[in-house]
Amino acid sequence: MYDMSLTEEENLMIQSVKEFTQTTIAPAVKEIDISGEFPWDIVNKLIDLGLHAMPVPAEYGGPGLSSVMSAILAEELAKGCPGIATTVGANGLTSYPILLTGTEAQKKLYFDLLMSGKLAAFCLTEPNAGSDAGAVATTAVKEGGEYVLNGQKTFITNGGVAGVYTVFATQDKSKGIKGLSAFIVERDRPGISVGKEENKMGIRASNTTDVFLENVRIPADHLLGKEGEGFKIAMQTLDKARPIVGAISVGLSQAALDASIKYSKERQQFGKPICANQALQFMLADMAIQTEAARWLVHRACYLIDAGLPYGKESAIAKTFASDTAMKVTTDAVQIFGGYGYSRDYPIEKMMRDAKIMQIFEGTNQVQRMVIAGQLLR
Amino acid sequence: MKIITCYKWALDEEDIIIDKQSREVITGRAKYRISPYDRNALECGVRFAEANGGEIVALTVGGPETAGSTKDVLSRGANRAVYIACPELAAADSAATSRALAAAVNKIGDFDLIICGEGSSDNYAQQTGPRLAELLGVPVVSYVSKAEIEGNMLRAERKLEDGMEAVETPLPALITVLPDINEARIPSLKQILAAGRKPVDPFTIEDLNLPADMIKPLSARLSTQGAVTDRRCVVLQGDGAAIELVGILKSEGIC
Repeated sequence: MYDMSLTEEENLMIQSVKEFTQTTIAPAVKEIDISGEFPWDIVNKLIDLGLHAMPVPAEYGGPGLSSVMSAILAEELAKGCPGIATTVGANGLTSYPILLTGTEAQKKLYFDLLMSGKLAAFCLTEPNAGSDAGAVATTAVKEGGEYVLNGQKTFITNGGVAGVYTVFATQDKSKGIKGLSAFIVERDRPGISVGKEENKMGIRASNTTDVFLENVRIPADHLLGKEGEGFKIAMQTLDKARPIVGAISVGLSQAALDASIKYSKERQQFGKPICANQALQFMLADMAIQTEAARWLVHRACYLIDAGLPYGKESAIAKTFASDTAMKVTTDAVQIFGGYGYSRDYPIEKMMRDAKIMQIFEGTNQVQRMVIAGQLLR
Repeated sequence: MKIITCYKWALDEEDIIIDKQSREVITGRAKYRISPYDRNALECGVRFAEANGGEIVALTVGGPETAGSTKDVLSRGANRAVYIACPELAAADSAATSRALAAAVNKIGDFDLIICGEGSSDNYAQQTGPRLAELLGVPVVSYVSKAEIEGNMLRAERKLEDGMEAVETPLPALITVLPDINEARIPSLKQILAAGRKPVDPFTIEDLNLPADMIKPLSARLSTQGAVTDRRCVVLQGDGAAIELVGILKSEGIC
C-alpha cells in the first residue's frame, strides 16, 4: 500500500522547521545573500534542532529520518533559503557513504562527529573531474597502516566549514573508475587546507571552497568499503542524495509561486489586480502544476529508497524535473513581478539565481539524462 | 520542585478567514495549536526546571480536540501531560475552565508553582490564571515579564502600563506571564521523537467528580462577527492638500 499520510510526530517536525524558517532564516536571508558570509548563528541553531543530521540513525544518536521526511524538511528549509538547505543537504550527502558501506566503528566515528555539531563535506569534484568522476587525480598511497592522500578538490559544499570529509581518491589512475577509493578524513588532520570561498551567483549562504590535501595521513581503517569501490560508493551516494536537491528545488518553486500569488492579488494595473487577467492565471496554474508534479516525483523517489526498492532512475528523474521546474517557475515569478522582480530590493531575483545551481550540482541535468537513458536502454 | 504549566489548545488565528460580505468567521481551515503566550509559560517552567531541577506537568482542559495536543507540549520540554477533553468543556468560559483546571490541579497534587500565559490568543480574557489561583487559595502574580526562584520565594517583575513593579511571593504560587519573559524554543527533531514516550494522563470529569453545573459557562457567546475595515484610499494633491487633509480628519472626528 502506498501510504502518503504523515504521523503526528512528522507533522510536528514540519511545524518546527516552518517556524524555524519563518522566524530565524527569513529575516536574515537578504543580508546573507549580499554578504555571502556563512551564517554560523543560524547554522548553529539548525544544528541544535538536529536538522544537520537528519539521516543519522537513532542508535548513533540521530533522528533517523526516512528519505521522504528528509525531503519534506529540506523543502521547508528551502522555502526560506535554498543556500541553507544546501548546507543541510551536503551533510546528508556526506553521510550516505558511511550509511551504505561504513563499518560499526566508522559509523560511530563519523556520526559522533556529526552529533557533536560538526558539519561534513563530500569531496569528489576536482578541477578536471566533475561529471567524469573517473578522472579524479587525487591520490591515495598505502604506507603501512596508513593511507597518504594528495590532491585538490574543488567546488566543495561546506568545504571551509566542515569538521569531517568523505574524500574520493585514486590508487591507480590507469584503472580509471576502478582505481577510486573512498575515505573518511577528519578536518583537523595535518596537511588539509581550504582555498578561497567561491563568489557564487546564488545559494550564497552556503560555503563552497577548494580543499587541498597535502601528504594527509589517515589510518587504514578510514577506508570505506574496499579499495577500488570508490566509484560505486560515489554513484550510490549521489543516487540517494539527488532527491534532496529535487526537494530543495521544490521548496524554491513553492516559495516563488506563493510570492507570485500574493503579489498578483496586490498589484493593480488598469484598475484591477493583475491576477484578474487570464494570461496571468494560466501562468500561476502552470507553475502550480509543475511544482506539484515535481514534489510527487521527489516523494516517489524517496519512497522507493525507504522501501529498499531500485531508485536510480527515479532519483535522476526527480532531480532533473524538479530543478528544471525551479528554473522555469522562478523565471516566471520574475516575469510576474515585472520590474520589481528584476530589482534586488525584492526577493524574487534571488530565487532565480538560486535555482540555476540546482540544474548543475550533484550531477548536471545532462548527466542525469544520460543516467536515465542508460537505464531505459539497458 | 513540581511546576504545572497550563495551556489552551486554540485555533490558529492566521488560518481564520473573515467573509467580507457576511462578516462570518470561517474557521474550517484553521488548525489548533498551543496559544502563543502559553508557549512562553511552558518555556518559563522548563527554564526553572533546567536551573533548579524538577518536573513540569503541562495541563489543559477543553473540547475533544484537546486530546491531540499532548505530543506538541511534550516536545517542548514538559515531562508529563494531563488533559481533560470532553464536549462539555468545548465552549468553556474562564469560569468553567478555571474550575476544571483547579479540580485537575488538586488531583495532580502538591505543586510549587503554576504558570499560565497572560491571556489566550482567541479570547484574551486574562481571567483563567487569577481565577485558578483564587480557587486554589494561592497568591497570584500577573503581567510577569521576568521571574526567578530563590529557595521558597519567587521574585517577579510585573510590566504594567505605567511602569515596572518588583514583587516577591512565597511558593506555592501562580504566575501569568507576558511574551516578553522569554523566547519560546522551537522543538528539535529528537525532542519531537521523544515526546511519544512521555506519560500522558487523560482525566475525565467523572474522575474529578466535577458536577455539570461547575463546568457550565457563566456566559455564552451568541454570535461572532469579524471586523472588516474598508479603506477609502483618498489621494490629495496640490498646494492645499494639507489643509484639505485636516478638514477630512476633522469631519471624521479624528482630530
